[in-house]
Amino acid sequence: MRNFILFIRRFFNLILFLGLEIVCIVLIARTNNMQGNDIMSSANTVVGLMYQKQNDVVYYFGLRRMNDSLINENAFLRQRLAKYNMYDTLKDSAVHQIVQQKDSTHVIKYADYLYRTAKVVNNSVSAANNYVTINRGSADGIGKGMAVISGTGVVGKVEHVSAHFASVLSVLSVKQKVSAKIKDGTTGYVEWEGNRPDVLLMKDIPQQVKVKKGDSIYTTSYSFFPQDVLIGTVYEIALIKKNSLLLLRLRPSTNFRNLQYVYVVENKMLGERQQLEDSVKAKK
Amino acid sequence: MSTFVKNFLRFCIIMALQVLILNKITLRWWSQPAGFPVFIPYVYPLFLLLLPFEVPVWGLLIIGFLTGLTMDSFANTAGIHACATVLVAYLRTNVLNALMPKNLSEYPNQSPGVKNMGWMPFLVYSSFLILLHHTVYFSIELWSFVNIGYLLLKIIASTLTSMLFIVAYLLLFTRQVNARS
Repeated sequence: MRNFILFIRRFFNLILFLGLEIVCIVLIARTNNMQGNDIMSSANTVVGLMYQKQNDVVYYFGLRRMNDSLINENAFLRQRLAKYNMYDTLKDSAVHQIVQQKDSTHVIKYADYLYRTAKVVNNSVSAANNYVTINRGSADGIGKGMAVISGTGVVGKVEHVSAHFASVLSVLSVKQKVSAKIKDGTTGYVEWEGNRPDVLLMKDIPQQVKVKKGDSIYTTSYSFFPQDVLIGTVYEIALIKKNSLLLLRLRPSTNFRNLQYVYVVENKMLGERQQLEDSVKAKK
Repeated sequence: MSTFVKNFLRFCIIMALQVLILNKITLRWWSQPAGFPVFIPYVYPLFLLLLPFEVPVWGLLIIGFLTGLTMDSFANTAGIHACATVLVAYLRTNVLNALMPKNLSEYPNQSPGVKNMGWMPFLVYSSFLILLHHTVYFSIELWSFVNIGYLLLKIIASTLTSMLFIVAYLLLFTRQVNARS
């Protein structure tokens, strides 16, 4: 016993060091399987408030750019609204978007999306997993797993929520892939390789698919994102010799460097869909 | 000003600088000319490097852990910063022992600085530990050695910019005692 106490006293620093490192590794491992803890994130109230205060100051410097983007978005939305004139979309804030069905049944299906606006208070592009902090939380109806889009394209997925803040794992993340499709309907995954914030990758496209430079890549209805949100445009097509599949390099349509306002999209059907899919998985 | 208050203020100032200004550098377009990998200077370990000599190792470890956790919650990287800072805190005493001519207990009420170490030893001391911190941090963050060139470039670019800011900090906050003699 005495030897044991002497041993502890002799190597106390080393033991403390190893203990703390183990705590860190446990923390890292817990966040890596997508189930992070909310206290240790920028959704935390203190951190969120600090970012909010900073944003209040910096906000004014981006007003001109933001006005331009809002005008562009308005023009785009007016253009789309002209198509839907017969539907009463102004009844409430819920948007009944038609899911286009190209089958022979001609049943029109509605997916109920609820759009909520949120202001970006913190943002990053340099880490391997980038997060955007927004000033809306569970008090405003934001929940984990909701999709986040900007006026120009996809942004990410809500990962941590506190009462008044939420942190969003952006598409610029090595641990998150987005289901995507090319114009002709070929689906695949868009991912990020972890270094440059203006390059996204779409791998494993069969060679016979006709893709041109400048083609747009949209989200599919498979993922948590609403259908047909722009992800980016193709700027380079490379042929991988090893498996003769195409690799597309995309420019993301969202400028992640100057995000100001985003929309948090709640898919009201997602819970039902996930329940069904999980029950199928459980039977296997 | 007591040592405790001084160090606490320094913690607040360095953290605010790191979080509010340096973390945002990558959001500016000029930070990344022609596809150069995104670099980001992490200056906040400087707070650990400037703690007084007589802080025991276990104290350093706990302060380092808390500093890392604070940074983690700002950067949404639970544990990665803490892992790197704990390592820096653990090795700090050994590096200082190797660089200082006298035993560390012979510097009562002093902190490592340019004044009592000289420019060259202090730069060696800080650049070694900052390089270590960046290596550990970026390796864990990327968690693959597939494109090792990119990883190395990111580590080196970030360390160089961090050292630039640290030298600027030292020039600003070191009192010029013998300026006229």
